[in-house]
This record gives sequence, structure tokens and C-alpha cells, in this order.
Amino acid sequence: MSLSSLTKPWAATSYGFLDASAKRELRRKMLKAIAVPGCQMPYASREVPMARGWGTGGLQVTLTLVNPTSVVKVIDQGADDGVNAASIRRFISRVSGAGETWDTLAASIVQSRHRVPEEVMREDQILVLQVPNPEPLRGVEPNISIARQMHADADYGKLWLTLYEQIVRKGRIMQGAGYPSMVNGRHVMTPSPIPRWDVPKLNMAKHLTFLSAGREKRLFAVPPFTRVEPLVFSDRPYQVEHHADLTCRRSGVSGYFMNELPIDGGGSAFEVSDSNLGIKAIQQAEGAAVEIGKTWYRNGEFSA
Amino acid sequence: MAYVATRGGEKAIEQAERLFRQDLGTIDAARVETIQQTMPYLIDRVMGEASLYSEELAALALAQTGGELSEAVLVLRAWRTTQPRIAIARPVQQDEILTQRRISAAFKDIPGGQILGPTLDYSHRVLATDVLEGKPYAPPAVESAAKPAPATQPSLADWQREQGLLAPTGEAKVAPEDIPDLTREPLLFPASRAHRLQSLARAETGGVLALGYSAMRGYGNAHPTVNELRLGEAEVVVRHPRGTEFSAGRVRVSQAEVTSKEKGGFLDLGFAATFGWNEVKVIAAATLDLNSAEAPVGSPVHEEFYLYHTESVEASGFCIHFKLPHYVTFQSTLDAMRDAKAKKSAAEQKGAVERQTEPAE
Repeated sequence: MSLSSLTKPWAATSYGFLDASAKRELRRKMLKAIAVPGCQMPYASREVPMARGWGTGGLQVTLTLVNPTSVVKVIDQGADDGVNAASIRRFISRVSGAGETWDTLAASIVQSRHRVPEEVMREDQILVLQVPNPEPLRGVEPNISIARQMHADADYGKLWLTLYEQIVRKGRIMQGAGYPSMVNGRHVMTPSPIPRWDVPKLNMAKHLTFLSAGREKRLFAVPPFTRVEPLVFSDRPYQVEHHADLTCRRSGVSGYFMNELPIDGGGSAFEVSDSNLGIKAIQQAEGAAVEIGKTWYRNGEFSA
Repeated sequence: MAYVATRGGEKAIEQAERLFRQDLGTIDAARVETIQQTMPYLIDRVMGEASLYSEELAALALAQTGGELSEAVLVLRAWRTTQPRIAIARPVQQDEILTQRRISAAFKDIPGGQILGPTLDYSHRVLATDVLEGKPYAPPAVESAAKPAPATQPSLADWQREQGLLAPTGEAKVAPEDIPDLTREPLLFPASRAHRLQSLARAETGGVLALGYSAMRGYGNAHPTVNELRLGEAEVVVRHPRGTEFSAGRVRVSQAEVTSKEKGGFLDLGFAATFGWNEVKVIAAATLDLNSAEAPVGSPVHEEFYLYHTESVEASGFCIHFKLPHYVTFQSTLDAMRDAKAKKSAAEQKGAVERQTEPAE
């Protein structure tokens, strides 16, 4: 027996970049997050070769989940070829040997910034959402220690009050993306700045969702088949963006979340935000054998 | 497929990075060495913020980022975090530090003496433009003192403790390997003393200065007196598996103690230390430490406030992340705004809005 037979050959970095101690800590926190849905778990959040605020939290979770048989899809604002999404996807596959894809149906891990894909995700898929600010109470309580106490007490009165004030002042709840939502009837979480359109997709979903904020060093999870209920008053129903009637000018699909593009001379054109859904629709129209999975919204109506 | 062609993100980022690197040209060992030799204080600052002591790696990080400080610190931190923790050094004691500079503003003279050491404090800050006219600046030789200062200096705080001016320190009950390590666990509040001092040690110099200065100007509750400021070199003493202790090398360190007023019969003491020689940082950081005990929640001298907001990598990263596209979030906001406007004008068109009167009216 020699030292070399007991050890692995030297490598500049560990498999999946993060070393074993970092991954062990993350796995423990991820399991804890699953055990207490929606509750923010602090973790060390190691530095990664990417700037904080650029998906380092999502990246650490993905790097902990990934293995050589994984197939990874990374999107930013719904697009696979956004510059940062491309950079993250390239990094993940380089350090892990995982496959890359743009197709939601082919992915085993979907890391995303600000969108949930339009095609329904399955039990064998994991969604990793990048989170800039994990604290839904930040707007009403910037001090993290006090906010933590409020979560412990399930004291969400200030948050409800903010929503109520918006109705009084503006006639409706003005929250844009990142709509605060009650998870499993206990913890209010921010679903990350996904549009209101996407929040219902997390409710009683078949897939596991991790939400991870690298800069703020917090991660939380929505396990499969867990309730995610946006905070609404009983007489004021939850409103998603009015995108049901919009049509994508490139792919022709309609009834999905759209990007608005200002056009010369006034008015706007629209393009489907889930860019690969648009691409697949174009390919299908051109006669290619491409599969478009079942979507969460059908004819602009949510129907999971 | 036109959909794809209009974007081409992968190609663009590749070329954008090339453009940046092309501007910096070839980076070779000579460039790294020049930076290391000519910019010791810059190297010190970077090593402190990266919490990684290696002059060579710090110089390399500066070379490959062209001196973009937050990028240099990030590169070093990202490298550092992949390295195993193979040993825990023995705590550095003040009277063991090879001291090059040590001053106190609290007393005219102190046991061991005031040692000015290398400093620009009393220099006239005149730009040496002659150098550009072809006359190199050769510094005049230093004249040695008749009696050289001793290599080590006693701790002033120890003397103050003997005199009953400072509260006695209890014996540390924590084994070295159990000292909380900020680089391996998250910062939680209230922070342990170890976490607070570690976090300040690797805080961004400018950030610590800004918040420390705000405390000095009056937003804090304590006006600092520099009890002791020390620049020196500390031995990194580690234990061999056989049990022998040995020095693995020396690191440049700075430390500051600042004091203010009496608290509970003793002088209150704020402390900070960091890798490298960085006086501004340790004085400002020690001032923040001094002020934190009675700081109102949410004030700049409250530990949660200053520790979060002086974190170099987090702050700079979040700041530059605003360059990323945010059109989904923006679209969502726009939708709520348009809808609210439409509702309002519909209500106005209807004329008299049915007002719900309060029972009291």
C-alpha cells in the first residue's frame, strides 16, 4: 500500500468546483430546507468564480446536485442564450461534465433567473431559482435579525398591511415580480423575482424547487406537492400579468408570458419570454419533429 | 431560427472578455513580480480583503484584473475557498509580533516607547513630478538610531489591565480548532466576537473607512482615541503532527485598539486586525467595533449594518449585477401600473365614484 494508491490523483479543483466540505454543508442545508418548506436556511456560501448577485447561490446548489449524467438548462429572463445564462451553463458543464440543453423536457436540472419555464416540469426534474433577496420582509423590516424573529412568530402583519395599503391607494396590489407567497401554510417566502404569472406553477408542483441566494447566504425550498399560496385577500383574487391575449411576433404562440419590445412610432411588439418554447414552435411550424411538452397555461389560462 | 441568430450571447461574452484581456496584454512572471515589489501597500490591501496571505498570488490577481480591485479580491477569494484548511495557527500575541511601527495617542510615552517606523504621516504630500522630467527619485538613506528599537514591544493593554484601567480578560476557553470560521460558515446575528473581527479583517477598506468615519464624525456614540496602533510581522506558528510547534513563515499584520470612555469602571476598547499594513482600515474598523455595543439597530455603527455593507465581494457583486437584464421584473411592474391606471380612468369616466362613507360621517 502506498500513499498514491490511497489518494486520488491531484487536480487543480474538486469535481464540480466546490470542495467536499462545501458540498457536505450545502447538502445538509438543502435537506433541512426541504424538511421545513419555505424557511430560509443560512449557509456559508463559498465564493465561486463569478460575481455575487450573478447567480452564485443557484450555482452552488446546482454544483452540489450535478453529476456526470445530469443535463443542465440555464435560463436568464426566460432565455437560454442570455449572456449570463450562457456563462453559467458553460461553467457548470466544464467543471462537472454534465450535458447542456436548451430544452426544458430534456433537462434534469433547470437553473433559472426570474422565470419558471412554460412547459410543466416533472418529478425527476429540479428547478433551481437564483434569488437576489431571500427576505420577503426586507421591504417592511430591513434588519435581518428582527425579520428572522418575525418569521419565527409567523408575524406577517406588516406585509399584509403593505398589500392592503396598495389596494387603498392604487385600487389594486402593486407588487410586480417576486410576489410574497405562503409555503405549506407556515412560512412566507419570496418566490424570487419571477413574474406573478409563474407563481402558480410552484403550487403543488411535481418537481422540487430550490431557491438560493449566494450573496445573502440563504437557501430555501419548495418540495414537490407543497402548497404555495400568494398572499391575497379573499375579495381580491390573485392577478397574473395580462399576457393571456398576447401573441409572439416571431413564433406565433400566444397565451404565454411575453417580453414587450417598444417599436418605432409607438406601440409594442411581443415575443415569448420562454425563448426555447418559441424556438420549438418555429421548428414545429417548419415541419421538424420537435416535442413541445404540456404547458402550465393553456389558451392563456392556468390549468395544472 | 432567426430567433436565435439575433442574440448570440455566447459569442458576445467570449469576445467581450477577449477585449478586456487584450487591453492588458501578455501577463508574465516579470509583470507579477514588478507589481509585487513596487506596490506593497496595494498588495497588503488586497490580501486583507481576500483573507488570503500570498503576496505573489495577490500580485497575480492584480495583474490579471488590471488593478480592478473588487475583481482581484474576488479572484483570490474564489481560489482560496477551494483550498483545504490544513492547520490552525497559534493565536498571535501582541508582545510576540516583530514590531516595525507602534504608536499610542493615549499617552505621551508608553512602556517600550513610541516607534514611528515607516510612515508618510509627517511627509509633505508633493507629487514628485521631477521623475517625469527624467530625474529618478532615489530615496535618501535612512540613518540608523544610536540604539535600535527592540524587535518586540510589550502590549499597552496589558499594562492598562495591570493598572485596573481595562477589564481583565478571561482565559480563552475555546480550542483553536473550534474558533468559528467565517469562511466556512455564514455570518449570523448577533455575531460572535470571532465572526465580527474576522469579517472586519476582510472588509472592504473604503467601506470600513466610510462607516467608521461616520461614527467618528458623530453618527456613532464614541470618539476614538488610538490606544495602540501596531504594524509588524507575525510568525505563523503551527503544530507538526508529531507535536512540535514551528513557524511556517511570517505575515505582515496591522492591528489597532481604540478606546473612548469609561464603561462599568473600565475603559472600553475597540479592536481590529488585518493581514498586511493598512492603518486606515484597522483604525476605522476598531472604531466600529468600539461603537457596536450600544449602537441603535439600523444605525451605521450597528454590527449587522456595517458588517453586511462592508463585505467587498458581496457589495461589489450586487452593485454590478444591476447591469444584468431585468426585463421580466420590469414587465411585471409595468403590468400592475398600467392596470391600476386603466382602473382609475375607467372609474373617472364613470363619473361620480360611489364613495363608501365611514359610519361616523
